[in-house]
Formats: sequence, structure tokens, C-alpha cells
Amino acid sequence: MQKKSNVSSLTQPRQITAFDRFMWQFNQLLKIDAMNLVILVVVILIGWSIISESIPNPARYLPSPMAVVLSSVDMMVKGLLPSYFSDTLTRLVIGSAIGLAAGIPFGLLLGLNRTVADMFHPMMNFFQSVSGIAIFPIVVIWYGNSDMTVLVVILYTSFFPIAFNVLSGVREIPIRYVNAARTLGASRYQVMKDVLFPGAMPHIATGSRLSIGFAWRAVIAGEMLAGRQGLGWMIFTGQDTDSTAEVILGMVMIGLTWIILDHYLLRPIEADTIERWGLVQR
Amino acid sequence: MSTLSAVSISIQRRFGRQRLRKILLGSIPFLVMIGVWHANTVFEWLPPVFIPSIGDVWEAIFFLQEDCAGFMPLIMLDNSCLMSTHVLSSVGRVILAAIIGLPFGIAFGILAGMNRTVSKFLEPVGVFANSISGIAWIPLAIVWFGVGWVTTLFIMLNTIFWLMFFNSMLGVRSVARVYEQSVLTMGGSRWDVIRQVYLPGAMPSIITGMRMSMGFGWRALIAAEMIGGDSGLGFMIFTSAAEFKIEEVFLGVIVIAIIFMATDRYLLAPLEKWTVERWGLVWKPT
Repeated sequence: MQKKSNVSSLTQPRQITAFDRFMWQFNQLLKIDAMNLVILVVVILIGWSIISESIPNPARYLPSPMAVVLSSVDMMVKGLLPSYFSDTLTRLVIGSAIGLAAGIPFGLLLGLNRTVADMFHPMMNFFQSVSGIAIFPIVVIWYGNSDMTVLVVILYTSFFPIAFNVLSGVREIPIRYVNAARTLGASRYQVMKDVLFPGAMPHIATGSRLSIGFAWRAVIAGEMLAGRQGLGWMIFTGQDTDSTAEVILGMVMIGLTWIILDHYLLRPIEADTIERWGLVQR
Repeated sequence: MSTLSAVSISIQRRFGRQRLRKILLGSIPFLVMIGVWHANTVFEWLPPVFIPSIGDVWEAIFFLQEDCAGFMPLIMLDNSCLMSTHVLSSVGRVILAAIIGLPFGIAFGILAGMNRTVSKFLEPVGVFANSISGIAWIPLAIVWFGVGWVTTLFIMLNTIFWLMFFNSMLGVRSVARVYEQSVLTMGGSRWDVIRQVYLPGAMPSIITGMRMSMGFGWRALIAAEMIGGDSGLGFMIFTSAAEFKIEEVFLGVIVIAIIFMATDRYLLAPLEKWTVERWGLVWKPT
């Protein structure tokens, strides 16, 4: 008897309850990605509000989401938020553009000669590992708390990772490609243009993304430390003046900006470059 | 002459010809840099306020350690042994953050890699948390924990955890489903799957993540110590800069670079290489 009931429970479908139907609909909802994100955001906002309601002195420790939105409206009306935002972005764009424009040719030039490349590889590695934030105190002594300081730190942080990556990329190109081009009568410039540059392309793309990532962090830290206006400065003074809503607003802005920059601009460019130039036969 | 060539041959045997060449070549730019630095002190192109002499930087170590009363105060992070206290507290924080942050990051990453529903909710959070680079958390951390040990540890943990989480998740996802199914078919439990399939399969990605998170974490830690710390190398160079003691700043920067490079080169990079060799070449079904 026992066996028979077991078999029937396997072959015959279980009675579908209202709960099952609800779970099925819920699962269907979860399958949509945007819906997923909305649920997540709503859950986080609710949890955040509950925590902020239940702790003493929420304005100092964790302002409610509403307070953050209100402070953003307030800062928008005063025109502070767009001005800080554009300041930070301008610094990032100028700094990383100069850093990349200098770093890529520098890496290629060092890579022209294999001996020179081997020679400079450890030194570039050394400077790449000294983070820009660590040299910040030195730069402050040199230039004081000025825009120059922030710019120098950004330049430093964006220059060395890209130069190091390009140099590593150039070193990985099989020497016989260079020799073949030389044998066929290519000049130094042609070797650089037709062999080294395309060969190092995937490394250039990866290095650029890395450089810009480091530069973004350096901008935020530099603004905090040097006290120049921008998003980093906004969250730092927000903490000083006890307006935590501004701090959280700034953090959300920083996060969103980097997501947009990284996921919709840098990563697609990197993926495309690697797809186009990456599959060189070794 | 014969002794010289014998010495050179023995050195070549010891290090290997190619490696010796690389070491010698690689040291040339450093030597030139040190030479230029020294020439600067001799000819004073830039005043010593901007670039200290090498001797001053070396003296700064002993100046900072001057009042140190022996081995015990050094270990107890006494305020009299400034140099060793700052170095040890920075390194201690790195080790502590690694001990706490790495296992948690790996555990959550594996969980998210295994379970679609968990990853659906944790992944966007992770993307966002990774984008708010550790440094941006500093003001909020100061509000929550005050200036000091906890703030710096929090920043470092935050940086390590999310990077580790992401890398383990991606590593687990890259493991072929066939392995999991075969272990389950042969009667393995969930725990067996984790231990025998996911952990080894994700190992190369996990170790790469470890190396990356230590790099980012060390940078974030220095920044956190500057802004929200009361000890550590970042704090040391920042306060020295405020007092215009440039030789201490140079010393701090050099020590930071050496510690980071030594850990990366002699601990993490060999570990990564070994793991990739040991676990990396898993057959992937097509």
C-alpha cells in the first residue's frame, strides 16, 4: 500500500495552491532584470529608512533617504551640486587625458629597444606601486593646497599604470615580428606604428581603464586632502559640518558616475579593442 | 683576473644568466635616479626644503626611533618608537583586514556564484559598492566610528570585501556545470560540491582577486590613515608634511612602496603563479 501511494505522489501533480501560484508569479517578476533592480532599491530604501528611524540622532549618523533627496534638491537650487560635479569631472578628464597622452607614447618609446624595455620595467613597476595618494604629502609641500597639487597627483596616478601596461604589452610582442619588419626595411617609426602599437593595443585598453580608475580615486582623495571644490571636497566638508545627508548624497553621486563611466564607456571600449586587436597569433 | 671571472661565473650559476642580466639592467635606472638625487643635494638645483638629501632621509629613521626604550615598547606600539609603531600598525591593519575580509568575501562570492537568486540581489549592490571607491567612504566612516583605528580598518575591509566577492563570484560562474552535476549524481552533498568543485575551480580567480584587493586595499588604507587615522604610515607622512619635515615624508613614501612591492612580489605573485599552474588548466567541456 505504502509503495503505491508513493508512486502516485510521483506521477500525479500536487494540488496547486494559491501560494504556489503566488510564488510562480513572483518568480516570473524576478526574471525581469529591471524589476529585480527596482525591488532591490525599494528594499534597500525601506531598510535604510527603518534603521534611520530607529537610531538616536539620525541627522548625524544616518539621515533618512528623504533627507538626502531634500538636501540634493537644496543643493541643486543653490547650484552647488552641478558646479562641484563639473569641477570633479573636469579634473578627471584633463588629468587622465594628459596622463594617457603622455603615458602611451612613453611606454611605446621605451619598448622600441628590448634592452631599454628590460631596463625600465622594474622602475616603472616601482612607481606604479607607489600610489598617487602616498606621494600627495610631497606634492603638497611642493605646490601647496592648490589646483596644481590635485592635477599633479592625478597625472602621476594615471601616467604610471598606463605606461607600465604599455611597456608590458610591448615586451610581450614576439621579437621576430619586429625583426621581420626591420628586415623588410621599416624605419623605427614604422615599427612603432605598425608593430608595437597594434600589438600593445589590448594592454593599452586595459591600462587606460585601470589608469582612469586610479585617477578617479585620486581625484576624490586629492579634493578631500587639498581642499579644492568638488565632490570629494563636498563629502569631506559635509562630515566636518555635521550634514551627513550631503555626505551620503556625494557618495551616491560618486558611485553612480563611476558606474556610468565604467560600464557604459570604458568596459565596452576595452572589450571592443580586445576583440579587434587581441587575437594576434603568437 | 681569473678570480674575477670565477666569481662572475659563480654569480651567474647562482642567479641564472637571464635573471642576472635583468637584475643588473633593472638596477641601472634606480642607480641613476639615486645619483641625480644626490647630485641635487650637492648642486642644490632644488632647495633641500623640497627634496631632502639621502643622508637626511636615512637619519630620519633614527630620529623617529630615538626615544625607543627597547624591544618591548617597540612591540607594544609605544608612542616613543614612532617609526616602528607606524609601520607595525599599518601592517597589522592590513593583516587583520585580510584575515577578516578575505574569507567573508570568498564565502559570499561563492554563495552568490552558486545561487542565481542571491547573485541577482547581491550583484547590483556589489557593483555599486565597488564604484564608491573605498576613499569615498572615509567621511561617513569618520562620522560613524570617529577618527582612529576602526575607521581605517573599515575602509580597508570595505575595499577588500567587495573586490573579493566579485572575483570569487565570477570564478564560481566560470566553473562548468558538468562537474557540479556529476558530483551530485555520484551522491555528493552540497558541501562536497563546494569543496571539490567550486573552490578549486574558482581558485585562480580567487587568488587574482586577493592580489588585486590587497593592492587596492593598501592604497585605500594609506588614504584612510591620512584623513581619518591616528597612526600608521599614511598618518605619519601626512602629519610630517604639515610640519614640513620633508625627509620623514620621503622616508614614509619609500617604506610604503617597499612594503607593498615586497608583499606583492614575494608573497602574492608567486601564490598566483602557483595557483594558476596547479588549478588553472582545468579541462573545459565545449
